[in-house]
Amino acid sequence: MIQVKHLSKSYRNPDGSSLTVLKDINCTISKGDIISLIGPSGTGKSTFLRALNLLDPPTGGEILFEGENILSRSYPVHKLRQKMGMVFQGFNLFEHMTVLENVMYAPVKILGKTKEDALKEAMSLLRKVGMAEKANVSPSCLSGGQKQRAAIARCLAMNPQVILFDEPTSALDPTMVGEVLSVMRQLAKEGMTMIIVTHEMKFARDISTRIFFMYDGYIHEEGTPEQIFIAEKITPALELCQLFMPVFLIAGDNLTIRLTYNEFSEVASLDFMVAGISSSPLEDCDADILQKARTLSREIVEEPTSKGFRVKFLL
Amino acid sequence: MKVVSYILSALLVLVSCATGENSATLLRSEEDLAGRKVATVNGSYYARLLSAREDLQTMLFSQEADAVQALLIGKADVLVSDETLLNRNFRSEHGIEVAFKGKESIPTALMFRKDGVPLAEAMNEVLRQMTLDGSLDSLKTYWLGENYLDDKTYSHIPPEKEGEPLRVISITTMAPIAFMVEGEWYGLEMDLVRALARKLHRQLVIKNVDAGSGMMALKTGMADVMIGCIFITDERKEEFLFCEPYNEYHPAYYVMGQGVRRGGASIWKRIGNSLEKNLVKENRWKLITSGLWETVKITVFAILLGAILGIGLCAMARSRRRWLRSVASAYNWFMAGIPMLVLLLILFYVVFAGSGLNSTAVAVVAFALNFASGASSAYGTSLDAVSHGQTEAGLALGFTRLQTFIHIVLPQAAKTGMPLFRSQCIALLKGTSIVGYIAIQDLTRAGDIIRGRTFDALVPLLVVTVIYFVLAWLLGLAVKLLATPKKNVL
Repeated sequence: MIQVKHLSKSYRNPDGSSLTVLKDINCTISKGDIISLIGPSGTGKSTFLRALNLLDPPTGGEILFEGENILSRSYPVHKLRQKMGMVFQGFNLFEHMTVLENVMYAPVKILGKTKEDALKEAMSLLRKVGMAEKANVSPSCLSGGQKQRAAIARCLAMNPQVILFDEPTSALDPTMVGEVLSVMRQLAKEGMTMIIVTHEMKFARDISTRIFFMYDGYIHEEGTPEQIFIAEKITPALELCQLFMPVFLIAGDNLTIRLTYNEFSEVASLDFMVAGISSSPLEDCDADILQKARTLSREIVEEPTSKGFRVKFLL
Repeated sequence: MKVVSYILSALLVLVSCATGENSATLLRSEEDLAGRKVATVNGSYYARLLSAREDLQTMLFSQEADAVQALLIGKADVLVSDETLLNRNFRSEHGIEVAFKGKESIPTALMFRKDGVPLAEAMNEVLRQMTLDGSLDSLKTYWLGENYLDDKTYSHIPPEKEGEPLRVISITTMAPIAFMVEGEWYGLEMDLVRALARKLHRQLVIKNVDAGSGMMALKTGMADVMIGCIFITDERKEEFLFCEPYNEYHPAYYVMGQGVRRGGASIWKRIGNSLEKNLVKENRWKLITSGLWETVKITVFAILLGAILGIGLCAMARSRRRWLRSVASAYNWFMAGIPMLVLLLILFYVVFAGSGLNSTAVAVVAFALNFASGASSAYGTSLDAVSHGQTEAGLALGFTRLQTFIHIVLPQAAKTGMPLFRSQCIALLKGTSIVGYIAIQDLTRAGDIIRGRTFDALVPLLVVTVIYFVLAWLLGLAVKLLATPKKNVL
């Protein structure tokens, strides 16, 4: 559906210097994909999302939408945006209209629907997002969560093929995050193609078919939630193995290593069980190895067992 | 400020019951003026006469009516002006006396441009003929002998109805020199220019402005002849051309008569009389209505034109091109700095001097140019008040840039910008009160003309003030109705 090739974006600062936000982005998004863009702040997640519907036109590379290059001058950008909805961090509901008018406006003005049809569809969408009873209210009277649900309904009213979510819950009170996420979960269930910039890691892991971990203007890692989130903690686990296996192998008769996963398929802890010793094998370690181990793990538990001694690294 | 002081001084008339301390008997000659407060009109012959004296206090007013008012309310002890200024009816009604007349006699004539020799020659010819057949004498007797006061027909030389226009500027609206009754001009000098026009078969176009603007208009070729009891002085002869003097006038020194009680009658009776005199008599209210129409015309067209120009200016100010932004900001800087009156005079006397554009059109253009700047900043402020997110949301839904602007941004901007725009409109309405300077008889000037005839400050100013209030209210209402987006967007 969407192919991105060597996409880049740089801004020219007023002082003449230029700032490159997106360096070389390559990816393919297929119908039904639910992509979460995660990563530290300032790494170009939102810029990438806004480049896709050309709100922030990229400065290099290609974006193909249904095979057509949307960056070519002749491509009708507004037609693209009719098929590619967007939900903003700041909701951006039209302040001079009621919630219902917000939802009906674009279908009537752009798609040329009759008011009756648009009204029927708008009401069913508002029911879907749980906003039917607020239909005739001005956006200024709504809470953040309600605004965002109305904005999602407005976006759905254009019947888009893909929806871009730009940090849809970042401006919300924690108590309101849930109501918006549950609407999004429902959309995901219905097979809507979605690209989501979010900091809600648990949500991203639950909902996504794929996760793009962005860092420094690149897609640093790309994969299924399992791949991304396991990789996130398996790396320190592997490092700890490298550090301690030689020490522990020498220290006792027998070494058993066990990885424990938590409910999200993440590595939760790394256990070394050294048989045939009665004191902690860490006592013989170098100070700098211990120091390193402390930075890689949350907590280190040492306990004697019936056979020997156990060292547990909580990750 | 001027208006406020007029109203205050007019109120003083109503409340003060002071008796005149300076009686006519004490004032026999120029020497007796020592130590007194003497009122006259700024820039006049008398002003120069008085400026040579250091032993008295000179009060300079911009109009004769104001100087007369000062005498009436006791702010001035003596008024020096033309002997024709206050006729016997007016003097007896207000208890004014002529203390004495100055010894000097000042030749007076009609004034022409330096290159208006043929006109001046023709006028001399007319005067010679009228002297020969005695009609000049009978005219002088009728007007200067104050016979016209008994003969309410204001008999006059019939005007020429056709021919090339002869543009006349009268710097006075006073009987018996040149004055207006029910929209028609009468008076001694008016008859003289009529005689000239008849001889040349040209029709008269008459405008009333103050002396300063009048001379400028004459000099820049916007008028052919200037009248209004203009004394022939050496200075004026250097710049202008006079015909032969038709008469010689003496200065008159007016004072309040002995024992005259100021503000005798009850307030209500005075107001009633004043209303009658200022509005009903000679159908003077018609001056007000025609002035009102002129003011409305200028205001409405200037707002329409200025609002459109403002759109262009605002677009330039928000353009991506730096040079366009610079042009817009230079324009705004210029409009913010230049006094409206100066802009009006520059357009009238310099830019459109030879264009054949009439004064009303020039006023519309001047106010529109100024209004464009204010309107543009009102648009800019209200557009900035609509968050960029609204535009992004519109674009993201699939509206084009233009559709987003029209359907999403504009209705919201209109709501916030309306009060600002409305106050700009009302400021413009009030600002138009200066168009009298380029010979437009607007509402303010209509009040001035009535004041010039009745020497009464309160009622004309009050009426004009009330009308401005009502106009401002109506204008505000209209702008609000037009600029408020409709409630149902679909």
